Amino acid sequence: MVKFASLINQKFKNIAGSRYEEILKAYEDFFLTEEEMIIPEVNSVLIALDRYSEEVPEEVYEAVSAYPGARFLLVYMIDENVLRLIRGTLGEKEVQKFQEKEEQLAEERLSKVEKRLRELGISPRRELVFGDKGEYIEELANEHDLIVISKHYGSETTKTHPVSPVVFRVVQHVGKPVIIY
Amino acid sequence: MITTMEIVALSIFIGVYALIMSEKIHRTIAAMVGASLILLLNIVPWEKLPEYLDLDTILLLAGMMTVVNIARESGLFEYIAIKTAKLSKGSPIKVLLLFSVVTAVVSAFLDNVTTVLLLTPMLIYITRQMNVNPIPFLLSEVFASNIGGTATLIGDPPNIMIGSAAGLSFNDFLVNMAPIAFIDLFITIGIIYLAYRGAMRFHKERADAIKLGIMSLNEEDAIKDRALFKKSIITIAAIIVAFFFHDRMGVEPAVIALTGASFLLLWAGASPEYALEKVEWATLFFFGGLFIIVGALVETGAIAQLAGWMTSHIHSEGEAVMIITWFSAFSSAIVDNIPFTATMIPLIKAMGSSLNIYPLWWALSLGACMGGNGTAIGASANVVVVGIAHREGIRITFGDFLKVGMTIMLATVGVGSLIIWLRYVGL
Repeated sequence: MVKFASLINQKFKNIAGSRYEEILKAYEDFFLTEEEMIIPEVNSVLIALDRYSEEVPEEVYEAVSAYPGARFLLVYMIDENVLRLIRGTLGEKEVQKFQEKEEQLAEERLSKVEKRLRELGISPRRELVFGDKGEYIEELANEHDLIVISKHYGSETTKTHPVSPVVFRVVQHVGKPVIIY
Repeated sequence: MITTMEIVALSIFIGVYALIMSEKIHRTIAAMVGASLILLLNIVPWEKLPEYLDLDTILLLAGMMTVVNIARESGLFEYIAIKTAKLSKGSPIKVLLLFSVVTAVVSAFLDNVTTVLLLTPMLIYITRQMNVNPIPFLLSEVFASNIGGTATLIGDPPNIMIGSAAGLSFNDFLVNMAPIAFIDLFITIGIIYLAYRGAMRFHKERADAIKLGIMSLNEEDAIKDRALFKKSIITIAAIIVAFFFHDRMGVEPAVIALTGASFLLLWAGASPEYALEKVEWATLFFFGGLFIIVGALVETGAIAQLAGWMTSHIHSEGEAVMIITWFSAFSSAIVDNIPFTATMIPLIKAMGSSLNIYPLWWALSLGACMGGNGTAIGASANVVVVGIAHREGIRITFGDFLKVGMTIMLATVGVGSLIIWLRYVGL
C-alpha cells in the first residue's frame, strides 16, 4: 500500500506538475469553508422589493425553497421622502398620480413573487409600506433569520457602483445572512 | 538473423520502457536519453529524422494545449464544473450520470488529464457536501474520461498517433469509435451503479442543506474574463467544426489546431510567452523521443521481422482484430499507452503487406484507450484522479481500482471488439 501510494505520488507529480495546486487555488473562491457549510437555522425570511429591484432569479427561489416551514414576509417599499419632495414641488395631485403608479407596480411585483413562492409550496405574507427604505428594512431584518434583497434596491446603480448604497447599509448593519441578487 | 544494430536498438527500447515503468526518472528524460543514444549511434540517420518524427501528432497536441491554456484563463472549465454540479441538484445518481457524461464529452475534445484535473476538485467537494463515499464517483469520472477520449481523433494521444500514421480523419473516428464509446459509457455507469448502489444513498433529511450548499455556487463567479470566455467558446467550437471537415478541405488536423491556437492568441490578445510557457513541453519531448526510439526499430528491420512472425501465425482478419484488441488492452493496463501505441503503429503498418489492416487501427485504438481503465496506473487520467484522491485523504487502493477497472475494461473492450468484429469481419 505504501509502495503504491508513493508510485502514484511520483507519477502524479510527473504528469500534473503544479497544475493541480493552481486549479485548487482557483476553486477556493467558490467552495464554502467548513464554517460556511453549517447552515443557520432559518425560521423567517424577509424579501424586500422596491421599484429598482430586479426580477427575483430562479436560483434565489431555489435557495429559499430549502425552508418551506419558514414564515415569509414580502415587503414592497415606497420611499416616503420622494412623496414629500413631490408634494413640496409639484403639489398633491402629482403625489396622488405617483402613488397610484407606485402601488400598481407594487401590486404587479408582489403578485409575481408571491405566485412563484406559492408554486414552491410557500405561503408568504405581503406588505406595502411607505417609509425610509434603509431604516425600515433594517428594523424588519432584526426580526427575520434571512434577508433577500436585490443589489439595485434603494437606488439605481452604476458601472462603478454595482451595489446600491442602501443595500450596503443593510448588509453592514444587519447581523443576519443576506442573499443579494 | 539479428544484426548488432537491431540488438542495440532493441536494448535501448527495452531500457527506456523499463525506466518509464519504474518511474525512477521522468518518462520524458528516459525517452530523450534513449533518442539521443539512437541519434549518437547513427541508428536513425539525421536526414531520416523527419520520416520518424510524427510532426502531425506533436503539433496537434501543441495546438490544442495552447487553446486549452488560453481558455483556462477565462474560467471556462470551472464554469462547466459548477454548472454540472448545479444541474445535479445534489442527487447522487444525477451527480454520477452528469459528471460521467460531461467528463466523457469534454475528454473527447480536450486532453483527459486537463479534464480530470479541472473536474475532480468539484466532484470531491460535492460528494463531501452529500456526505457520500466519493470513490464510485471518482472511478466513474476516470473511466468516462478514458472512454470519452476513445471517441474522437483528438480525444486521446493514441488516437492522434493512429490517425496521423494511418491517415484516418476525424470523421473516421467519429463513425467507428464514437458509437462504441457511447455504448461503453453507459455500460460503465451501469456497472459502477450496480457495484456501489449502497454508497449512492444519502441522508434525505439533509437533502435541503446539501441542495443549498451546491446551489449557492455561482457559475458566473467562475468567469474571470467574460470577453475571453466568449472568444474561447467560439474558437473551440470553430476548431471542432473544422475538424469535421478537415479531410474534405485537405488539411491535416494539426493545421486546424495550430490555426485555432494562433487565431485565439490574436483575437484574445493573449500573451504568447504565457500561453506557450504553459504548453506541456515535457509531454511533447516525450513523444519526440519515443518516435525516434521506435523509428530505430523500424530502421533496423526489427519491426518488420516481428510483423512477419506475427502475420505467419495469424490466420484471418478476425483473429488479428481480436489479438490486437486484447493484447493492446492488457498491455495498456500495465504500460503507458503512448509508447505502446508508438510501437504498435509500425508493426501494424508492416502487417499491411499480407492483411487488410484497416480494422486493426480501430482494434488498436479500442485496446490502447480503453485498456487504460484496467489498472490505477493504466492511463494518465487514472493516476491524476487517484493522486488527487490521496491528497484529499481518500484512499483508493490498487485492489479497489483493479476490481472495478478490470471488470469495466473486460466489458467495454468486449463490447467494442464485438462491434468492430461485426462491422469488419462479420459472422
